[in-house]
Amino acid sequence: MDVDEPVLPQLRKSSPDLFFPVSDSEEEDEAPVVLRSSSTTAGPSSSSALNRGNGSSSAFVSNGLLDLDAKDEPQLLFGSQNSDGIVPIDVKPSPSASVGPSSNRKRPMSQSPPSIIPQNFESGYLGEFVCEGWSLSKGKGYCQPGSKVVFERPKPQKVVTEDESRAVARSKEKAGPARLVNGKVVGAKAKAAIGKQMTLGSMMGKKAASAPARKAPGKPVVDQIIRFRNERGFVGRLSVQEAGFLTHLLDTGVIELRGHVIDCPQSLSTGATILLNVKVYLARQAFVKVEKSGRKEEGSFWQEQKETIEEEAMRKRKDALGALFSRIGVKPLRSNALLLAQKKNGSAVINEASLSHFGSPSRPTSASGVKRSPSPSKRSSGLSDKGKGRASAANSDDEEEDSGDEEEKLDDEQMNEIDTIYRKAQQGDNRLEETDPPDTFLYTLRPYQKQALTWMNARETGDTSVRDQSLHPLWEEYAFRKEQVQGQPIEIEDDEDYVDPSRKFYWNPYSGELSLTFPISNNKARGGILADAMGMGKTCMMASLMHLNREGAASDDPTDDTAVEDEESASKRPKFKQVTLSNQWRAVPTVRKAPASARATLVVCPVSLASQWHDELGKMSDKRTITSYMWHGNDRTDVGILLGQEGKKKVDVLITSYGTLASEYQKWKKNKDKPNYEGGSIYDHEFLRIVLDEAHNIKNRTALVSKACYELKGQRRWALSGTPIVNRLDDLYSLLHFLRLEPWGHYSFFRSFVTIPFLNQDPKALNVVQYILESCLLRREKSMRDKDGRLIVDLPPKTVDIQVLDFSRPERQIYKHLEDRAKRRFIQLDAEGRAMSNYTSILAMLMKLRQCVDHPLLVLGKATAEDDETAEKLLDAQTGDEKTSLKDMIAMYAGGATSEATSDVETVDPTFAAKVLRELGEQETTPICDLCTNEMFDEVLLPCYHRSCQDCIVDWIGTCEDQNKQANCPSCGKGPIGFSDLRSIQRRRKRINPITGGYTDDDGLPASQGETAVTIGKVDLVSSTKLRALVRKLEQIRVDDPEVKALVFSQFTSFLDLIETTLTKAGIKWLRFDGSMSQPQRAATIEEFGKKTKEPVILLISLKAGGVGLNLTMANYVFMMDTWWNEAIEQQAIDRVHRLGQNKPVFVTRYIIKGTVEKRIMKIQRSKTALVNASLSGGASKDKQASLADIKKIFGLGEEDSEDEAY
Amino acid sequence: MSLPKRILKETERLMSDSPPGISAAPKDDNLRHFDVTVTGPESSPYEGGIFKLELFLPEEYPMNPPKVRFLTKIYHPNIDKLGRICLDILKDKWSPALQIRTVLLSIQALLGAPNPDDPLANDVAQHWKEDQSGAIAQAREWTKQFAQ
Repeated sequence: MDVDEPVLPQLRKSSPDLFFPVSDSEEEDEAPVVLRSSSTTAGPSSSSALNRGNGSSSAFVSNGLLDLDAKDEPQLLFGSQNSDGIVPIDVKPSPSASVGPSSNRKRPMSQSPPSIIPQNFESGYLGEFVCEGWSLSKGKGYCQPGSKVVFERPKPQKVVTEDESRAVARSKEKAGPARLVNGKVVGAKAKAAIGKQMTLGSMMGKKAASAPARKAPGKPVVDQIIRFRNERGFVGRLSVQEAGFLTHLLDTGVIELRGHVIDCPQSLSTGATILLNVKVYLARQAFVKVEKSGRKEEGSFWQEQKETIEEEAMRKRKDALGALFSRIGVKPLRSNALLLAQKKNGSAVINEASLSHFGSPSRPTSASGVKRSPSPSKRSSGLSDKGKGRASAANSDDEEEDSGDEEEKLDDEQMNEIDTIYRKAQQGDNRLEETDPPDTFLYTLRPYQKQALTWMNARETGDTSVRDQSLHPLWEEYAFRKEQVQGQPIEIEDDEDYVDPSRKFYWNPYSGELSLTFPISNNKARGGILADAMGMGKTCMMASLMHLNREGAASDDPTDDTAVEDEESASKRPKFKQVTLSNQWRAVPTVRKAPASARATLVVCPVSLASQWHDELGKMSDKRTITSYMWHGNDRTDVGILLGQEGKKKVDVLITSYGTLASEYQKWKKNKDKPNYEGGSIYDHEFLRIVLDEAHNIKNRTALVSKACYELKGQRRWALSGTPIVNRLDDLYSLLHFLRLEPWGHYSFFRSFVTIPFLNQDPKALNVVQYILESCLLRREKSMRDKDGRLIVDLPPKTVDIQVLDFSRPERQIYKHLEDRAKRRFIQLDAEGRAMSNYTSILAMLMKLRQCVDHPLLVLGKATAEDDETAEKLLDAQTGDEKTSLKDMIAMYAGGATSEATSDVETVDPTFAAKVLRELGEQETTPICDLCTNEMFDEVLLPCYHRSCQDCIVDWIGTCEDQNKQANCPSCGKGPIGFSDLRSIQRRRKRINPITGGYTDDDGLPASQGETAVTIGKVDLVSSTKLRALVRKLEQIRVDDPEVKALVFSQFTSFLDLIETTLTKAGIKWLRFDGSMSQPQRAATIEEFGKKTKEPVILLISLKAGGVGLNLTMANYVFMMDTWWNEAIEQQAIDRVHRLGQNKPVFVTRYIIKGTVEKRIMKIQRSKTALVNASLSGGASKDKQASLADIKKIFGLGEEDSEDEAY
Repeated sequence: MSLPKRILKETERLMSDSPPGISAAPKDDNLRHFDVTVTGPESSPYEGGIFKLELFLPEEYPMNPPKVRFLTKIYHPNIDKLGRICLDILKDKWSPALQIRTVLLSIQALLGAPNPDDPLANDVAQHWKEDQSGAIAQAREWTKQFAQ
């Protein structure tokens, strides 16, 4: 550290420079004393570190609880004249301590520079400030202006000697050895100054000392008293505002304070105001690297949303330092690009108000031409402003703690802002160069895809030359100051005059870390997020990249390699690595291949997409240039062997699923440390490139699958996702963590930089996200235009038709009952205040309602969990005013159990009957229904052989029942007729055959058996409004396009079952795709669907299983049967069809039932305050309160209800 | 609320192809509300009269019958002085297979065949039963007075 070298020797020579500058005016016995509480915390290990470099430092530091300022005399540090009064702390030099296990553990993504502290560095002068104190003494002559004072923390502090044990470090208390009487030194009878000692080990264990101070049992109240006194025994304390941010720093030994009195009353009285000048020094301890638990640790760090104690300590330190810096008016010489980015949008405040005190760089940096903001130092060095730092620190404290539990959702506006973010990240994208893929890649790329290839290639090869020189984006450069000449006690100096540019230090205002070495931006992330909108060919682009960059980076960037090695294997035993290695050798004994030259790509995707990747890679690649292998299911071969294969069996791309990876991860975690572990796991292999398709699968950082992805070893990492931010900014975090994008991949960073500010409604959070994304994300949308103004993707038009349907009468009855009960139940729970605790059952009730909208029969579906009990009760409960239970109603609806046999209709004119039957067989046009005057739909036959639409007649019978009158045939008046008297007429198109029989009770003949053109069966009331609407529409469509292919999405597989039945009866071919199917089955289904047929084919897809990734451009009709909480999911589903490769216009039909929860869900969907997670995660959501509000809205209990709306 | 297709169809047909002696047109402000005129059937006491009615299609139409009322004063045992009509198909004999057109034809027929045994206007029915010709003369008189 050349910066420090010239200075330090000098420091040592003339320690007064470093320590308290002596004013010569004082009486001898008034020698000011400085409490170096910082070094008091130095434990064995830290002092040993000092020891090695500085022969005398042992004494110095260990005794250094008190540094006495004895005018120009080097021996002020317990020099001979004073040492008799000092009880040195017993410090064992233990050279190994600093390399103990915990400190040895390297952080996986170190964002701090190597924390090298020059051996002879003791402390650096930071600056001074004026503050107020109160006298605690009475009497005359105790102190005068100019007299020096010592600062100390009043209460006996514990001394921690244990080194590694963090827990112990927090609670052990010991006072004795650290006790140090300084009074004797100067001959005053000051009471003992008590220092606190903390070991380096425990410091490195990042339980910064605040933990003992603040968290120790029995000492719940935060002690913020800082006393000061001079050698005459006069005692005072600092005003609380000042002490607030100093205590923490003093306790942790980050700073040293020295000071002298500026002004005080001649005669002291208790509480009298004393004006002090305080000089602040950054102690050596400040630069000791604070260790954090990294990703390798399976500790609470990754599992808890809340910050750990370590994080809290760091945060306090950060806040305190921030406050201190602003108090003193320290300004960075160089700031980071991020702050600058924020500055562009006004004053930069990222949550911690303290950050705003950091002025812009005083020297323009590479990134900036930003003007200096008005210096806060002038203001804050004034007394009037003294509370500020404290206040800001306190604020951020509160906010952070409050927000710990909240869900970080994006509201509508913010979602819009996210669009803006993307847009900014997109600026200039259309000017990217185009790169042609190699010949081995068979597809032709569109221009925008070639641009993506350029970008991806650049991201992979990484132009690091510039970046490596630049300051790490989170750090700021500062310089220590020269101490000014004594005798000018208070001076608001013009900072730069006193800045000593040769002595720099660096501060990370976000983590609170300090460093003396230059923090290099060593962003090793290779890869990024390809976030093109759905259907733009992300797979294709990635494949072209695989062709372009085939060989590993083993040679092109050795440092990168080692870094990766380091990071990844640091926590693993060396043996482990060897095993893998030997595995590889064993597999390919003849090939001399450097183990590091990874060349395979790993593709992780949802299981439904695996075969699609496989197929597409095959199609895109010239023979044998890229071979892929699907590695999933039970036949998972040893990856090492697999990838070691050469020649024909060579595998370039390994395709696996998230599920497989997760189980492999568990297996590996269990086995990897066993002595007989042989490797062969996917985790033992280093990949050239890891690609996560549909990467939002890992948006939850605590999920197993996410961890499984983080642990993969690869040189280049890519995340593909059309929706990298699903509904909260934290979604992004997981991707960044996977990418190892520094420093955002650290949760604490991301949290304090994005999440927390975001929670505090600070728009800057979005600026930060934008800043992050600019570097690592490429996103184009279908609507974007290239540099010539043409649409980059020319897709056929998409028409979305929202069909608002009306329930049939019985459906509405059932629904109303259900809804009323659910509503009552909810109101009751809410009134009793038990809505929260019954949250899941409320969701279950909602689920019932949503199902009922699709089809009343779905409601009867099995309860999936105990939570559903309430929902079940909905069905059973017989409230007073209702005669029949809902179950009965539904059963009746289904035309089963209860409907009593209706009386036989008298006589039917036989000739009329014959005519009708003949007509049924012959007529090709659908007859007109008397009731609705339309062509009959779901034609039914009444006992009198009159016909009607099923809907119409059912409606009529229902109306009559309501009016307690007999339902007769509308046409001939014969009756009564009941539901059970209806017979449905099924016509099979294309074959016109005379009718063969009268009534059959068959449920219709199988479609293959086609002799009968018309089947008359028992009326199938197992239909519903939506079902009928769907079939009706399909019938219409197939008139226009007999080979139509359509997708039908529902979130309920049970509804898909019913659709199946209905389609079968209507003679429409269907296929099914849902989560219960195995991968081969899915692949087969998709293949089958893709075949050319002469008849319509309908693919029934469960929204969750098939909503993402699938390429189904062979279809151009999409039906969304129900409404999902999250619009993005539905969008995804629609984009299965409306994507690259689609050449027909796309028609989307959504069915909504009037006056039901669906409408309100849609509303919420639009406002995106989304219940999303609550419902997805089965109710474990933390922001239940917000969700409850949503639920109220869904029940129509919210502020505004909406009966007046269109639907 | 959009109109069901059936109502549109019926309206269209009523306008373009109205039954003899009957006209019906929806009001501008409410397409479910019709202005109707019915001419008195020949050889009935109402011959020569033009009777105004209003007809309203309720939300539940055609599951529920339309509501019809005479606006023109008429002397008829099945029509009261408020113009309300006693006609079975407008009540319990309603069938959704019936239409506006058929309803109006039935009303016209009712004018030709008063049924004092199922009265709505009791005094008129009484008069009809006791002194049919007097009642008919009264009806003619009213027709002349109010419907011409």
